[in-house]
Amino acid sequence: MALGFALIFGVTHTFNLAHGELLVLAGYVAYWLWKAYGVSLFFTFPAAILATLALCLVLQRLFSRLREPMEMNSIVLSFGLAILLQNGMLFFFSGDYRLIHVPLLNQRFRLLGISLSYGQFTLLTLSLLVLGLTYVLMRHTYLGKALRATIQDRESAALAGINVSGMGILAFAIGAVLIGLAGPLFGCIHYLYPTAGLQATLIAITITIFAGVGRIGSLILGGWILGFAESCAVVFLGASWRELVSALMLLTLMALRPYGILGTEEK
Amino acid sequence: MFCKRRWFVSCFLLFFLWCTTTPVVAESVKIGEINPLTGRLAKQGLEIHQGVAVAVAEVNDRGGLNGRQVELISRDDQSQPDVAISRAEELCGWRKVCGLTGGYVDSLVGPISEVAKKYEVVYVASASLQKELSQRENPYFFRVAKLQGFIQPICDLLSEKLRPQRLAILYAATPGSSEFAHDLENCLHSRGTPLHLIEKFRPGTPDFTPLIAKLASMQIDVIVSGGFSADHLLFVRQLKENRVSPMAYLGPFGIAYESFIREMGENGEYLYSTCAWNPGITQPGTEKLSEDFVERFRRMFQRQPNTTNMHGYTSTRVLLAAMRNVVRRNKPLTGPNIRQALAELDLLLPMERVAFDKHGDPLHYQHPEPLLPLSIPCPNGVNESSAHVDHCSRIRHHLGLILYPCGTGICPDIWGYPHL
Repeated sequence: MALGFALIFGVTHTFNLAHGELLVLAGYVAYWLWKAYGVSLFFTFPAAILATLALCLVLQRLFSRLREPMEMNSIVLSFGLAILLQNGMLFFFSGDYRLIHVPLLNQRFRLLGISLSYGQFTLLTLSLLVLGLTYVLMRHTYLGKALRATIQDRESAALAGINVSGMGILAFAIGAVLIGLAGPLFGCIHYLYPTAGLQATLIAITITIFAGVGRIGSLILGGWILGFAESCAVVFLGASWRELVSALMLLTLMALRPYGILGTEEK
Repeated sequence: MFCKRRWFVSCFLLFFLWCTTTPVVAESVKIGEINPLTGRLAKQGLEIHQGVAVAVAEVNDRGGLNGRQVELISRDDQSQPDVAISRAEELCGWRKVCGLTGGYVDSLVGPISEVAKKYEVVYVASASLQKELSQRENPYFFRVAKLQGFIQPICDLLSEKLRPQRLAILYAATPGSSEFAHDLENCLHSRGTPLHLIEKFRPGTPDFTPLIAKLASMQIDVIVSGGFSADHLLFVRQLKENRVSPMAYLGPFGIAYESFIREMGENGEYLYSTCAWNPGITQPGTEKLSEDFVERFRRMFQRQPNTTNMHGYTSTRVLLAAMRNVVRRNKPLTGPNIRQALAELDLLLPMERVAFDKHGDPLHYQHPEPLLPLSIPCPNGVNESSAHVDHCSRIRHHLGLILYPCGTGICPDIWGYPHL
């Protein structure tokens, strides 16, 4: 989820506050297929991906019409879109809490002495797999190099003959696929309700800043460090310290390493 | 020219005829309702609104207020206090409503009550708990619920019946939940019931696993959680996933809903809840009134009403009853007159006998005894110890509340326990 946010933000400078709502919408699509037609979770992924892909391409068209300052204008636009999506989901799915029940995902097993549920294991495996694939795409293909070049410097990339607006569409498309993959799993692990996306957006923003904007490789490390710190805060300090600790870590990092946890200072 | 004149005369005659034959319709009485119909509190706001709509329909079907129909003007505060203020300004200042009702959570009810005070318009809030709100010397603010109605029975249950060995109170970082936790802590302290952990968490926390690990390491056997529906759903499910089986899980807010129980599925085994009213739980002597409400609600919304619906209904019925008393005394429907009528009101409704103290708090709002927002996830195989099972059985025997679940499925009428 954070990967999709980071990619879209890096390439298009679009600060998409409706990212979490798209995730919840993908979850609702999966939930609807699962509940109404008995489609198994595995087969809900393509439908969720298609739905988010269609929506993200429409959003990309909207965002591409924005003028500078892109970040500020995109915040305003996406805030409105988030409200629109929340109310749309409220209308179609009501405010009830929905969960895609997959009993297998709740069963637990031990791996290297650690107790894990199959749901957590699936999330871990899938995030590593997706990250690996994205890494290969970004490092070993022409398309990836073009995307990285656009993230680093849009003007220079355009001067080098890269279709920057095309890269924007591609970033939104990849982001949509990632959201489409995460949505159904979110619906299995977390409860779906129209405003659940807010929390997801906040997590995506925090991890993206923590990892360093545009530093896709360090996203997973950033996510793990933050999660570990939050868990330690709950156990040793108390649940009320959870957000404070992650905020303090973020502020400290921004003060000491503003280019992200694994990033290097640009000369 | 002649045709024009004939047409003009015909029109005039028709208009004259219409004016003389149309009966004089009594002017309707306007009341306003502000609820979070969109945004994060939309679910509860819509439920309050449905209860309000039922109350207004009921009064209008009975002929209104001395022949005057009640017109309900509904406004959406979008779950945001600033919007709530502007809607209250519109209703009180421009639409000149006689009274306000509705409202969910103190952060929205508080600002509305201040606007009502400014315009001297009475406001009967449907769902508000924070003590501070009624201590603000606002003579136009009344409400049909109060925090003490939750705390006293839970405190009784914990100190006199459950008697936990290791008790934890978890509460959400909201004014109502914080106040609940600290008042309960004080009550337990006064009864000599030891409390081993009191922790705050943010509502909507995505993962409770670290907190559950902490509770398990402390061998907490009873958890009281002041969280809301989403928090309970996730917490109880993660308790089960992590194979942590406390003796009891109590949650005063957000459990007593059919949709909640349905969504909990088999994780909700032995899940009980606190509620001021449900179709099977009503104040003695109000059985017929309760049935009528359920029937009308089902007719209007094609589903079973819940306790939040009843809060909306009760606040509106109270407001309308006070207005009726004012009309019967041939007094104008002004804020001071309705306020006076509310202060003198003593009305038996399905949820409570409504009478207010000098602060506008309800005198008799109390969840029925025995109040049980209780889930006892007795172990089903895993970590099952005979001592634990015995303990669970003892609790159920002691409280006499083997009412839910009906097997592992959802009971068609989960609230049908008349002996409560």
